[in-house]
Amino acid sequence: MQSHSNWSPSDPGSALLAERYGNDSEAVVEALRLIRTRQGGLTSAAIKSVAAALKLPASRVYGVATLNCMLGVAATTSSDKTARVCDGPACWLKGAAQACTALEARLGAGWRVERSSCLGLCDQAPAALLEERPVGGLPTCPEHVEATLPITVETVYELPRPVEVRVMLARAGRVDPDSLDSALDHRAYVALEFALTAPREGVLAEVEAAGLQGRGGAGFPTGHKWWMVEQAPQHPKYVVCNADESEPLVFKDRVLIDSDPHQLLEGMALAGYAIGANEGYIYIRGEYGPQATRLERAIAQAEACGCLGDHIFDTNFSFHIHVHRGAGAYICGEETALLESLEGRRGEPRLRPPYPTTHGYHGLPTLINNVETFSAVPAIIDHGAGWWRGLSSAATPGTKLYTLLGHVNRPGLFEAPFGLTLRQIIDDFGGGMRPGATFRFALTGGAAGTLVPPGLLHVPIDYASAAQGVSLGAGAFLVCDQTISPVSVLRELLHFFELESCGQCTPCRIGTHQARQILDRLAAGQGRACDVDELSRLADTLQRGSLCGLGRSAAIPMQSALRHFRPDFEAAVHDDQADH
Amino acid sequence: MTIRLTINDQLVEAEPGQSVLEAARASGIIIPTLCHHRDLSPVGSCRLCVVEVEGAPGEIAACTLAAQNGMVVRTETPALGQFRKTILEMLLSSYDDDGNSNVVRAKTEFMHWANQYGAKRLARSAAVARFPVAADPNPFIRVDMNKCILCTRCVRACAEVQGRFVWGVSQRGCESEIAAGAGTMMLEARCESCGLCAAVCPTGALEDKLSLGAGQPDRLVTTTCAYCGVGCQLDLNVKVGRIIRVTSNPQAPVNGNHLCVKGRYGYDFVHPANRP
Repeated sequence: MQSHSNWSPSDPGSALLAERYGNDSEAVVEALRLIRTRQGGLTSAAIKSVAAALKLPASRVYGVATLNCMLGVAATTSSDKTARVCDGPACWLKGAAQACTALEARLGAGWRVERSSCLGLCDQAPAALLEERPVGGLPTCPEHVEATLPITVETVYELPRPVEVRVMLARAGRVDPDSLDSALDHRAYVALEFALTAPREGVLAEVEAAGLQGRGGAGFPTGHKWWMVEQAPQHPKYVVCNADESEPLVFKDRVLIDSDPHQLLEGMALAGYAIGANEGYIYIRGEYGPQATRLERAIAQAEACGCLGDHIFDTNFSFHIHVHRGAGAYICGEETALLESLEGRRGEPRLRPPYPTTHGYHGLPTLINNVETFSAVPAIIDHGAGWWRGLSSAATPGTKLYTLLGHVNRPGLFEAPFGLTLRQIIDDFGGGMRPGATFRFALTGGAAGTLVPPGLLHVPIDYASAAQGVSLGAGAFLVCDQTISPVSVLRELLHFFELESCGQCTPCRIGTHQARQILDRLAAGQGRACDVDELSRLADTLQRGSLCGLGRSAAIPMQSALRHFRPDFEAAVHDDQADH
Repeated sequence: MTIRLTINDQLVEAEPGQSVLEAARASGIIIPTLCHHRDLSPVGSCRLCVVEVEGAPGEIAACTLAAQNGMVVRTETPALGQFRKTILEMLLSSYDDDGNSNVVRAKTEFMHWANQYGAKRLARSAAVARFPVAADPNPFIRVDMNKCILCTRCVRACAEVQGRFVWGVSQRGCESEIAAGAGTMMLEARCESCGLCAAVCPTGALEDKLSLGAGQPDRLVTTTCAYCGVGCQLDLNVKVGRIIRVTSNPQAPVNGNHLCVKGRYGYDFVHPANRP
């Protein structure tokens, strides 16, 4: 029999890792990323070396390495670089498949070209990541490739659209995101300094009074969540920012971080003060490398000036923020999967209850909010809850970031109050449909959103409008004209859910796979007679039986598409196949 | 304080912290399960044990649902039956047992529930073999991951009971698979061949190599392991006067389902060819 231990202290790889990460089992993704960068791929030997250094079982490290698609487990080491071409809906509409072929031809040897779930670069579609570098506006025919690569993307949203109301984007384009001085000139950290002069209950009361709702998509009342964490008896408590923005068609958090990172950091510090936490973590998706670097720089600057770190503004309040990079897994945006991943395990959702508010990071009370939610807090504290409520006449107070894509004249990102109708979004903010384009339907909310027919263009959209068939979700809108079939859009969505399911529970693991197979047939006009009913049954099983929100919400676009566009699905059934 | 709830019109008592599933089992009410095992922490992933609770929307997994006073639970309704059939058919669609002609167990837990709920393998979605059959050279445990339904009992048994952490879940989505160590052979992943993973496997993806093709026992003989001083109890599976297999006995006071490699697999000394 072979020896039981494969660890030898002389292994230079593990010795180096052990020294750098000091047996920190939560650094598993960081350690894997380091090895992958050095060796060009993760082999069994490399994984065992990481496991030995961090004193973890090899099976656990292997599980993490294979769940996260940016880590790339391979049979052999390779010096090839990886290009990941976005496979999201916005890039799909703009011919990402052709762009992928063209890019592959252009890059040639030394590159491995893969497809990837939405990279959050929808406003530059078709887009790709060359290793960690984002490139956008990829040419779709090979002869144009030569001239235009490389393209480095810098998103600028300096100029508001005519009807925009800017709060979270108020400083976008006006401050230098890499300069604390520039941010301080524009009232950064004023709210925090002011809040620290008064008891922390004041911050909590103000956020509660403002009626702020979570911007991740569910719209949970933020003040109530803060209160629950504040009330939880255990200590210490943690603040976690969910910056794992992986919902297709959504890139608002990227823009918020790129345009004003200190606003987010200030919001997190205010939350920490309100709930009595001294540590904060930003879990940012691995694809947002430049944004993670930007946050780290901003944190270092703020700590050096006493705006963050120990004894903020010479008070007794200390708050440290750490940036944790993910490695390519949509499921890690589910808050309990995020916590698992943060703790160095596979990002698989936890059973609930208990909830993170009492049993979160390390089993301790943890406040998890979205980037946009935290980013709204400084303005609320600075101007007051009444002002925030006055921004909007809709039931949901305040403003929201929207991403608008597809066949409109001015796609992109804007900020506005709640209660907009799809008609307003297209005409007032998007400059109307493109010449020659007639509105056929829109996908609203994100991949886990609704397909909206023309008959619902008048519905005011907020967190409650999903009941009427128009979900707000994370605020994404993909507008499609007469050339796009709802069947093919739904196929793209299920393709996404299939690839991003963690595989833990049966309905999601197999249901999304079966639904995608059916939609492949239907999108090709080769559907079988029972396919439409089968799709409907799968949606029902996913919605009723899935363990977490990912599986349950994969059913939302299926059910909504079948409700409004059933004839399109039925027309895709090929009669010859009827008796198979 | 005892909790009182109603399951299928029957008044049932439960201890605080017990799940609805445990409370039901203690009262003789059977709820089908695959990922649940009494010795292992509940994960609620197979979704077979879903029940209906009055006043709560949808179906809820009984294995992870804490029993509460006044709960009214139904474990068998037409809707639940249909749901379970769908789940089982989903699992069957990725289950392939072509490479398994000489099975150890006549009827696995998985096949038992599939038959009970009338789940059939749909010809057109028949699974294809994704993994090599019996490729792992472990001397005692036969691996055929084509029969794996990802219940993760083996993963939890190895980690929670045996403490070796050999098995883990790797990949994701419908590509998910159970792998030893860093995708290696079992022994390389520090396996001690205790065989607990094979004992808890509900599908026969992991099986006892020594008993392949031996058929079914005539009788079980409960005895005490002769190897060391712990005194583990085990069941000799006897067929025509010969031991064809050793299984653990959940009622064993010292060891429960747990056995070591010697107790579970070291029985060939009883029938050596050179013994008079």
